[in-house]
Amino acid sequence: MPDEELLLKKARRKASPEGAVESGVWYPRWYWPSFAAPATIWIAILFVLAFYVVISVAFGTVDPLFRNPLPVYEPWWWSGATFSDVLSKFVGSDAFFLPAAMRTLIYVAAASVLCLVLGYGVAYYVSRYGGRRKGLFLVLLISPFWISYLMRVYAWQSLLTEDGFINDGLRFLHLIPHPVNWLDGRPTTVILGLVYGYIPYMILPIYGQLDRINQDLLEAGRDLGASPIQTFWRVTLPLSRQAILAGMVIVTLPMFGDYYTNDLLGSTKTAMYGNLIDTTINSPGHGPQAGSLVIILVVLLALPMAYYLRTTKRAVESA
Amino acid sequence: MRQPNWMSRRQFMGRTGRAALALPCLPAILAACSKPGSVPTGTTPSVRFLARPDKPVSLPLRGQPIPTDTPIEKGATLFVYNWADYIWKKTISEFEQKFDCRVEYTSFTSLEEALQKITAGAIRPDVYFPGPSYIGRLVYQDMLQPLNHDLIPNMTQNVWTTFWDPGPWYDQGWRYSVPYTVLSTGVAYRRDRVSDEQAAAGGYDLLWDPAYNGKISYYDSMPDAIGMAILRNGGTDVNSGDPKTIDAARDAILELLTGLDGRLTYNGVYVKLPAGEFTVAQAWSGDTVAAQYYLPKGTGTDVLGYWHPQDRPGLVGNDIISIPTSAQSPRLAHEFINFLLDAKVGFENFAYWTGYMPPFTSIDPDKLVAQGVIPKSLSTSVVTQDMMEHGYQLAELSPAAEDLWTSAWDQIKAGA
Repeated sequence: MPDEELLLKKARRKASPEGAVESGVWYPRWYWPSFAAPATIWIAILFVLAFYVVISVAFGTVDPLFRNPLPVYEPWWWSGATFSDVLSKFVGSDAFFLPAAMRTLIYVAAASVLCLVLGYGVAYYVSRYGGRRKGLFLVLLISPFWISYLMRVYAWQSLLTEDGFINDGLRFLHLIPHPVNWLDGRPTTVILGLVYGYIPYMILPIYGQLDRINQDLLEAGRDLGASPIQTFWRVTLPLSRQAILAGMVIVTLPMFGDYYTNDLLGSTKTAMYGNLIDTTINSPGHGPQAGSLVIILVVLLALPMAYYLRTTKRAVESA
Repeated sequence: MRQPNWMSRRQFMGRTGRAALALPCLPAILAACSKPGSVPTGTTPSVRFLARPDKPVSLPLRGQPIPTDTPIEKGATLFVYNWADYIWKKTISEFEQKFDCRVEYTSFTSLEEALQKITAGAIRPDVYFPGPSYIGRLVYQDMLQPLNHDLIPNMTQNVWTTFWDPGPWYDQGWRYSVPYTVLSTGVAYRRDRVSDEQAAAGGYDLLWDPAYNGKISYYDSMPDAIGMAILRNGGTDVNSGDPKTIDAARDAILELLTGLDGRLTYNGVYVKLPAGEFTVAQAWSGDTVAAQYYLPKGTGTDVLGYWHPQDRPGLVGNDIISIPTSAQSPRLAHEFINFLLDAKVGFENFAYWTGYMPPFTSIDPDKLVAQGVIPKSLSTSVVTQDMMEHGYQLAELSPAAEDLWTSAWDQIKAGA
């Protein structure tokens, strides 16, 4: 027995990068980490630096003539006046940013749950019953990306107008007595737009996970006396939990910053958080306010993100 | 021997003036020296008069116009930065043929957006349409070049005298700009749903009439939106810096959008009003005229109506053309401006495409209806020299006032 363990240990060491030393090939210490360098530099420039500029704008000032934002890069010159001014628009008597923030929370919650329910069904069907046509289904799922989102939402605009096909269809079925103006700032229309825009991002990770579930586990569940529903509930669903979390993260994060769905399908009555940023950044002199709005959103989103990272880490450790 | 370094009288006055301005606030400048952003950039005087129709301003000559003998750039690409759909394609192709060049047309949806992109250097056009409210700042930041008047003979030949002698209130002596079109801002309505009598009685309140709930369009443009709401509330200063006036205007617009289901649009007047989606709309006169081309087949132009106050001044304005300092083809840019001010070219551009009239002496406003350029039902959309002289005009706001306006606008757009 001890011999076996020794052998196993040796084999493991051989497979590991450090083991390479023993096999006669020497790699410098930086060799393996250097593979991560391009991505690290990429993230450093596109995220860390960019976010530092946002902070410098939020705590910076504006050019006195054109009132364009003037970022201040030295932290000792930062002023929190604009930031606290923006915060006061979320709480207090003059809290006119709060309704849009609450709306965003409700719309995103509704849209992501709808994405999950609809998307899970589609992913489940394709992975379990797709059979030979799986490839075709996947192509069909990805096909909307071939046309720009903007074009597809313009199509929705004409479908949803008062004399559009949606109203014609609903009236033909006698579901509505008069045509409905779906585009006059209705939460339902905006939520529909969000679901439409983001659902593929939900389906793909869930499909990937469901497709990898070992069918033997499901059979084992059935053999041990579980009903199909019980098997789903106690085997399939727990095994796809990570994919659901990943899908939710991928879908909700961009939804919180989305402004064009509402721009195209809603009105100011359905303004979302992204619209606040879009409006303030286009208002002369309000660049620092836009920066502050971005920081507030990032901080709020960091909380669920941290939860996601923790559960993923746990799942990896227990696997 | 070195020549003594004489200052001209103009330089002397300018420098002493600046010194006098700067001295009292020297400690402040010193204290702020290292702090970014607090010192006005360049040599911008810290006090600048804001141009108003009754307080005209001569913009300082910074730099020299290009020499008259500058050769026309051959085979160049002329970059034009203007509102969307605001020059007839045929006008552009005629210019391309005449001067053997290519014109690249980039459009913006608001003057504020354009200003931001220009000042950030994101767009470097040869010809730019900045609007009277922003020209002052652009000149002080050295972003526009003075025009060579010899290269634009059509200005004094064709354009209303008031625009070149003494010149417009925002740019006396037309040092940096020529007018492109004149316009008024009023209320467009569907005459098959609103009678002319109702419109005349309602005026601005047409837009706040619950009868048109859900069928009201308002411009998604801060100055026009707030400016008209001020007039509707009985105010007369459309560039007001008074918090109460601006709050009341903001509340009126919020009521229109939330209580009456109104919509903020860019194309509400020329696309959606003719399609019947809207019944009443805040409208620039030219958009209303252009709406006739967007009517569905079989619908007569007489369904379009336009109200603009007849018994008192209303909102009027004009667009302007300038050449940025960074222009790559400044001579061609001068030719382009002169071309647009050609009597025939300018008239065709207006009559067949934009719907916005150039201020030409050759155009008789009273004859436009008879000529069939403007439908009879839209005769109120014609802008006269008299209207331009007596109407209210949107102008540059002081930073404090602008902050009030933009805060109100942020709130309007936040839907709260």
